Amino acid sequence: MSKDRKRLDAVRRDVGVLENDLFDELLSGCIGRRDFMRHGSVLGLSLPLLGGIAGAVFGPTLSPRRAMAAGTPGATIRIGIGQPAGAIDPVTIADNGGLVLLEPTGEFLCRTGPDLVLQPQLAESWRPNTDGSVWTFKLRQDVTFQNGRKMTADDVIASIDRMADPKNSANALSAFKGILQKGNSRKIDDHTVEFHLDAPNGNFPYVLSTDNYNLVILPADYAGDYEKTFIGTGPFKLEKFTPKVGASFVRNPNYWGKPALPERLEYSFFGDQQSQVLALQGGDVDVLQQVAFKGAQALFNDPNIDVMSIKSVSHQQVHMRTDMAPFQDKRVRRALALTLDRKKLVAGLFNGRASIGNDTPFAALFPSSDPTVPQREQNLAEAKQLLEAAGVGKGFDVKLTTERYMEIPDYAVLLQNFAKAVGINIALNVEDQNAYYGKAVFGQSDWLDSVLGITDYGHRGVPNVFLSAPLTSDGTWNSAHFKNPTYDKLVAQYIASPDLGGQRAIAGQIQRLLLDETPLIVGYFFDELVPMRKGLAGIPPIANRLFMEGAHFT
Amino acid sequence: MSRLLFKRLALSFATLWILSVLVFGAGQVLPGDPARAILGPLAEARAVAVLNHQLGTDRPLLVQYWDWISHFVRGDPGMSYAYRAPAGPFIASALGNSLLLGAVAFLIVVPLSLFGGVWAALHAGRFVDRAITLLGLSATVIPEFVSGIVLILVFGVWLRWLPISATAPRGGGFGSQLFHLILPSMPLVLVLFGYIARMARAGTVEALAAEYTRTAVLKGLPRRDVLFRHVLRNALLPTIAVIGTQTGYLIGGLVVIEVLFRYQGIGTLIYTAARAKDFPLLEAGVLSVGIVYTLATLIADLLYAALNPRVRFGAGE
Repeated sequence: MSKDRKRLDAVRRDVGVLENDLFDELLSGCIGRRDFMRHGSVLGLSLPLLGGIAGAVFGPTLSPRRAMAAGTPGATIRIGIGQPAGAIDPVTIADNGGLVLLEPTGEFLCRTGPDLVLQPQLAESWRPNTDGSVWTFKLRQDVTFQNGRKMTADDVIASIDRMADPKNSANALSAFKGILQKGNSRKIDDHTVEFHLDAPNGNFPYVLSTDNYNLVILPADYAGDYEKTFIGTGPFKLEKFTPKVGASFVRNPNYWGKPALPERLEYSFFGDQQSQVLALQGGDVDVLQQVAFKGAQALFNDPNIDVMSIKSVSHQQVHMRTDMAPFQDKRVRRALALTLDRKKLVAGLFNGRASIGNDTPFAALFPSSDPTVPQREQNLAEAKQLLEAAGVGKGFDVKLTTERYMEIPDYAVLLQNFAKAVGINIALNVEDQNAYYGKAVFGQSDWLDSVLGITDYGHRGVPNVFLSAPLTSDGTWNSAHFKNPTYDKLVAQYIASPDLGGQRAIAGQIQRLLLDETPLIVGYFFDELVPMRKGLAGIPPIANRLFMEGAHFT
Repeated sequence: MSRLLFKRLALSFATLWILSVLVFGAGQVLPGDPARAILGPLAEARAVAVLNHQLGTDRPLLVQYWDWISHFVRGDPGMSYAYRAPAGPFIASALGNSLLLGAVAFLIVVPLSLFGGVWAALHAGRFVDRAITLLGLSATVIPEFVSGIVLILVFGVWLRWLPISATAPRGGGFGSQLFHLILPSMPLVLVLFGYIARMARAGTVEALAAEYTRTAVLKGLPRRDVLFRHVLRNALLPTIAVIGTQTGYLIGGLVVIEVLFRYQGIGTLIYTAARAKDFPLLEAGVLSVGIVYTLATLIADLLYAALNPRVRFGAGE
């Protein structure tokens, strides 16, 4: 240990204050290996360095990357995915089917790995200034696009400006709002870029990672027509794309990194989950992008199929309008949340493949979540008392509006049953997704206007998005119409906080405030399920992503 | 006959125009807007406004409709909003696929159900008759998404005799494509068999009891001649009309089958275009099905007239 300690001391002399804070947290036992790895990766410390330090403290472990490196190359892997909703263009595409198609040929500056640890991809390292308002990214120097041109800082800046420019119809525009504006990414040299943020941000690298689904690095002169080339820097190159039918990719022989194991990838588009499940069972495809538990139960009993269950922070938010009856009184909101038997929800809706939620977006999976915040349990007596105190002891009628998506309609029925026990009569209004989201602006959207609703939120590596748009006073997705200056201030502090200890302290305050106010009910965070043919291996367990470069048959 | 043809054609054009207006109007009632459908619910309102402007969907409705219809009549169905590519090739490919699936189903179901219906009529009241009628009726009432799943599970998953996907792998050729269409056409055969067989049976029973049949038998014609020259010719007239009206269903109404068997037909194309408010694709898709349907009923009418002198001469008066 003394040798390791000496090495650690040497490392500490070379790094900044934030990094040393992190080491202190590790050595004092405040954080474990996973949190140390994850937060160290955000600060731009290299994974081998972090692994070495964590190994010295906790003992060695096999990294997921190394675990998937072995395997027989040359396979053709057939992948079933949802039908992309429109033209494949990294600037506009929004649905899962379209986004997954960016992965074979496109790459990000960094990517969120298993356990939310950031891994370098096109950037080899990154580092914040002392307050986290300027981040410097060093790019790899050996990267070429599939057309043979070298990737430089100009391509990175152009890719980010394209997404952050309000004049473009960019899907990622909302991800950059309040964080980074067009023109604030500056080239230092051909392989160094400095990002000058609107405000300090301790988790900024996640904004440039696979978390920001659309942000694959494209050539600076990219002008559309992506479907013709699928241009990028990734381990595969396009073979053929047929709109509405499928796409195939072959190994990119000039890839800068370790060559991909599969020789070919064949993506087939499916109109719904049932047909995907049947195609996998019938042997028409080898793996599915991701399935909802509901409707995929047959796969768990199929001896020819393995289902990879990935812990995620994907969840469904139940919002209650805090500005109108009957939920303007926080006691009523808390009462409804207290009717839920969360263990039954997880068992009934997912057969256990989910984690219990505590009415805040802070899933236990996030290292910054404060584990000391008490878990809300079902308590009908307290719920009744709260309703009594709020003057609605006899209960009331209310309409729950939601979308037909995944298990949400079943969740709504369970909520309805739970609420009945305290006299809250919920009438259900389950709509098509288009109808529910409507124009997605206040006044023209059932999502944002309904008094009680359920909305799906996909996986993210950090909770920043969940904390901001759906809950801050000026949040554009604030369907609860929650306006709380203390909360806004805490979230701003949380986002700015560069060290994990500081983030966790603020997270605890946010969690307690949200439990008290209860603008949202978060009953569970469900696992993401990737079913595949038995014998297929090498796909890293990363929520919401299907990276195929290590895939092989055993 | 030519007057009948002209009258029918004029009616068809009027029908198609009304259809285009109805579809456009209905499309406007659907929630959301095209750019929002493309960019998703979480996109910034500014990005949505920019895209709507680029697509031209922020123009007045009448301008949008006129722009589209004036191009359509000149043979240009416009650009798909969602796919940002000409709608024509999408329609052509999807319609071709639907026609092929419909043709395969037709080639199986028409001879099968005619044979079944006539066979049942010739054995009216006996076990064979009851069995065919009962089986046909049961098959007709099973929705195709139920029979489709059962067929996939039996022939695709358990026995693995037939491929589940209706789309043949690349480079498979026409034969492979036909092979891939066998399983998807089965639910359609089941739905249509009982219906067509019942019509054929009823027509045959009626024709067998008709006086001209009795005369033919009494004058000593062989049984085969009686059947083919007198009975079937008269018996199948209503059946032809029924087959004609099923074309619309077979071409444009197979959304469930197309999704289940992963087949890019016109039904799915229209359905997804409607969901995405992809107006040019939606309009062009619906009108192509309308055209096919109109043509099919026209052909059925003409065939009916050709086979039935009473209609032919009545129209020519």
